[in-house]
Amino acid sequence: MESSDEDAVEERRVQLRPVTLHLLPCDVPVNRPAPVGRFFTPAIRQSPDGLEVSFRGRSLRGEEMVVPPGLVGYVMVTEEKGEDRFIQATSSFSSFTLWGLETIPGPDAKVRGALNWPSLAAAIHAKVPED
Amino acid sequence: MDLSELERDNTGRCRLNSPVPAVCRKEPCVLGIDEAGRGPVLGPMVYAICYCPLTRLADLEALKVADSKTLSESERFRLFAKMEEDGDFVGWALDVLSPNLISTSMLGRVKYNLNSLSHDTATGLVRYALDQGVKVAQVFVDTVGPPETYQKWLQQRFPGIEVTVKAKADALFPVVSAASICAKVARDQAVKNWQFVEKLRDLDADYGSGYPNDPKTKAWLRKHVDPVFGFPQFVRFSWRTAQSILETEAEDVTWEDSQTGDQEGLGRIKSYFSESPRTRPHLPHRYFQERGLESATTL
Repeated sequence: MESSDEDAVEERRVQLRPVTLHLLPCDVPVNRPAPVGRFFTPAIRQSPDGLEVSFRGRSLRGEEMVVPPGLVGYVMVTEEKGEDRFIQATSSFSSFTLWGLETIPGPDAKVRGALNWPSLAAAIHAKVPED
Repeated sequence: MDLSELERDNTGRCRLNSPVPAVCRKEPCVLGIDEAGRGPVLGPMVYAICYCPLTRLADLEALKVADSKTLSESERFRLFAKMEEDGDFVGWALDVLSPNLISTSMLGRVKYNLNSLSHDTATGLVRYALDQGVKVAQVFVDTVGPPETYQKWLQQRFPGIEVTVKAKADALFPVVSAASICAKVARDQAVKNWQFVEKLRDLDADYGSGYPNDPKTKAWLRKHVDPVFGFPQFVRFSWRTAQSILETEAEDVTWEDSQTGDQEGLGRIKSYFSESPRTRPHLPHRYFQERGLESATTL
């Protein structure tokens, strides 16, 4: 998102490397690099009912999720240097793969609902036309 | 044995079969069922059927088929080749169940255990033979576990067929021995030529017998464990050996259906009597909770 009210902030457009992302229906409570390209991506299969893969011996079904028009996804990384914290975008995305445990996440997926919020927010904050 | 279909995709199950001998569609047949690779933590499990007309059973016996476990790999290979030569009266079919299929079945939300998977696969193969027009009159099955319940279960599914389920049937009935040879030849070949889905670095092809108690197999598992993904799909994640290595050498993974220990949100009973007011976190509107959205005013 861009800030328009703070003129002091210098605006720069940077081209970020697009990245492929997978959102899994489980928690791995660590933050570390994982060999996705060697273990996960080559195992994805296209079946008549969508994408299929397995993780840790459990079956996953997936579908592509597109970031709503007008918005861009960023992968943000926080870095702490002494007292200061730096938050920076490392890559961008316009779609990602959403995985469900054994079934396709479908229309009721939490993330799908979350992606509807920006358009609803825009609507409720829009100026009401005066008659 | 041509396993190219399995080598193309070994993430599910794969059916392989001989042509059906014409005589098996005319005369009543005897059919044997056996499996290979039930115990190992590595590689697929193979279920096989073998059948021939009752009148030609002596010819099958003349091949000197025996329980596959008592035969060397080369003897099994030779006997399988002989059965192929006798394709005018001996037919076979098999199902290769990939380790990935075994893992995902056994670790499913609704657990599908190895016995049910085995029984359903065996039934599927008999049904396949019937669908192909094989006049199955008798079925002999080797079993682990109590034969009585399994026999009753199979008999109910195939009322017109005489079903015999017996422990060590692979040593007692030549048609079951023949099925055990088909299964074992397929399993050995599948393991030997396993096409890893993953791009593994310095892959060690020496995985031993694949049985959990084999030190070579254990060493292979420890070498190829990844902290996030666990193992390659060649490994049956549902095996206790695999699970215990993951517990110590890989990161924890919590699923939405994971069992949680204590119930959160319930305070100690004494907290109701304490003087300090219970701090209630300010929760966002349900709309945001249901969508997993959090305000980003503080980062």
